[in-house]
Amino acid sequence: MSLSTQESDENAQYVLYARLDNAKTMANILKAVHFKDTAIIFASENGLKVTVEDCKCVQANAFLQSSLFQEFVIKEEQVTFKINLTVLLECLNIFGASSIPGATTALKMCHEGYGTPLTLLLEENGVLTDCSLKTLEPDETLDFNFLSTNVVNKIITKSECLKAAFSELDLSSDILEILMSPDEPYFRLSTFGNAGSIHSEFPKESDLVESFQCNKTQANRYKISLLKPSVKALMQSTRVSVRTDNRGFLSMQYMIKTEDGQVCFVEFFCCPDEELENDEYS
Amino acid sequence: MKCIIPGINVKVFGRAVHSLSKIGEEIYFEPLDDGLALRTVNLSRSAFASFIFRPSFFSIYDDGHATLRNDDDVLKCKIGMKSCLSIFRSLSSLEKSVDRCKITLNMDDCRLVFQLFCRHGIVKTFNLTFIECETLQAVFSKEKCNNVLTAQTRLLCDAVTNFQASQEEVTLIVSKEKVSFKNYIEDEPDLKKVVHTVLDLVPEEFDLFQIDAPADITFCLKELRAVLTFSEAANMPVTMRFDVSGRPIAFCIDSDSTFEGNFLLATLADYSSQSQVTASSQVGLTPQTQGQRSKPSVSAQRSTARRANNGSSKSKTALKNMSKVSVEPPTQSDQGNEDRILPISLLGEPEPQRQDSPTNIEEEGTFVPGTPPGKRFKSLFFGMSQSTTTGSQPSSTQHQVLAADTDDEGD
Repeated sequence: MSLSTQESDENAQYVLYARLDNAKTMANILKAVHFKDTAIIFASENGLKVTVEDCKCVQANAFLQSSLFQEFVIKEEQVTFKINLTVLLECLNIFGASSIPGATTALKMCHEGYGTPLTLLLEENGVLTDCSLKTLEPDETLDFNFLSTNVVNKIITKSECLKAAFSELDLSSDILEILMSPDEPYFRLSTFGNAGSIHSEFPKESDLVESFQCNKTQANRYKISLLKPSVKALMQSTRVSVRTDNRGFLSMQYMIKTEDGQVCFVEFFCCPDEELENDEYS
Repeated sequence: MKCIIPGINVKVFGRAVHSLSKIGEEIYFEPLDDGLALRTVNLSRSAFASFIFRPSFFSIYDDGHATLRNDDDVLKCKIGMKSCLSIFRSLSSLEKSVDRCKITLNMDDCRLVFQLFCRHGIVKTFNLTFIECETLQAVFSKEKCNNVLTAQTRLLCDAVTNFQASQEEVTLIVSKEKVSFKNYIEDEPDLKKVVHTVLDLVPEEFDLFQIDAPADITFCLKELRAVLTFSEAANMPVTMRFDVSGRPIAFCIDSDSTFEGNFLLATLADYSSQSQVTASSQVGLTPQTQGQRSKPSVSAQRSTARRANNGSSKSKTALKNMSKVSVEPPTQSDQGNEDRILPISLLGEPEPQRQDSPTNIEEEGTFVPGTPPGKRFKSLFFGMSQSTTTGSQPSSTQHQVLAADTDDEGD
């Protein structure tokens, strides 16, 4: 067919070409890191990594592995560009964000290389939409230098364990204290707000806790305003891994199951709040 | 103080907090011999609500009296409604996940501690700051009411849903033959411009129908809705006790032996059908330190200024008198509350005018009130000293529980 030859001819000019049967999959994962307008997209043969940062203190990475796409072709080792994430999400949901059973939006995503726009071709029930998004010069991203060898404490739990705790955080508190310890109380989230302090404790024996590897008692404080965006990812996820390293840096990895049963990961890094000389909160 | 609420009762407790949160901004905790009392009063002090959870409601109940030498040492405290509500925010998840709730008082850190023991071993601890306070108690006597109606919640809910959400007050008209709910229209000179809703109920619909004196009373719908949200979920009948307009109406939910709820709402004094110009009524509140604990029933306080010319001075007196009660040292309060209240509250002595009969004649024949009120009257829900109309008045009424405040105002 001339169409297929035409298509391959067309594709020849792209450095990045990806096809996805259900655009909703991508939209959902991107939504989990959508707490800033712009994101930096790193494309490699492994897939796409979408990075969003805030205040030079928190970084979220969404991984869309190449196997998620029905077709994923990249001609350079790495393609990097900055993009307006809000607009990208709007385009992906252009046929409506609500999922009507039976109707899925197919997506074709192309990029011709540095300085050219990202083009999206969306199709649902024979209706086509062409989108062209300007790409921007990528910023340098933060390197948290979070090495697994430096991890002091690590807990993997089912997400429902943390969902209630995070969605009901007392926002009159500036900080969230995360305590992880090999001894009681093992794993504790605390806020210190106007009304008083609120603690949620999770025993390591709980059937929701799947892995508990804590070596040292650590209580670190993080700004709630920085952690709050991670709730979006948490709500979509089924499992979460919470890790802290020797500097008190926090890594949270969320496992998200897509509609078609694939597994994606979203991770958050957050640096701790500066330690206070006099513990004014406690 | 230490008490543990078993899982099946946590939702009831949470619902009580939700219901109280629709009325006041602070919640008063007081451990009594016969149960834990939760109370609140609204900002304008026109509505008071209390729940008493009996020891049988808890799996463990220790009011803390045993360890104290003096009953005065028992802590009564209040906490912000919002922080209390945050504990019981999601009722559906409470029911599913909470195994028990423990309430203790941490005197060392001065925190009221709520602990929710949830499924999967999760423990949520709320260390809430509190303010020490005196007992919050409305003065009202159930026995002194001429009219008692008991109805299934369903009946009242069905009646209330007929009113628009924006409807602020509702009038309850009772006679020996029927009970009517009518929307109360305020500040609308042309009565043809507004929607009128009248709902008639026959005595047979009530579980208990005891009307000694026909009455025509107006009260806030918002607080009634707060009552009904609780009673509807608990599926318990509501008993209404009331007298005549201007005197409070009580809604009691007490068919369960493990707890009881009482809501006391001020009612509008009726100006339209009488020469009386000022009559002010509010839910009387007295801070008390003693003598109240063993007496769950409450008594009514009413202050009435009867004539147009001396109305203002009268209600000023009432205010002064009230502050006198507030500053009385606890030692004098031993002989009980009603005795102290009587001289100042004009309780019972000047018989409240039976203004209901003319009103009823007017109301019964027509569905739509034919005549606008003779004098436009403002809601009395904003304090007892309406007639003095001093600018500082509204703010003062907000702090009336404190003796010092009212004392200043009285001068």
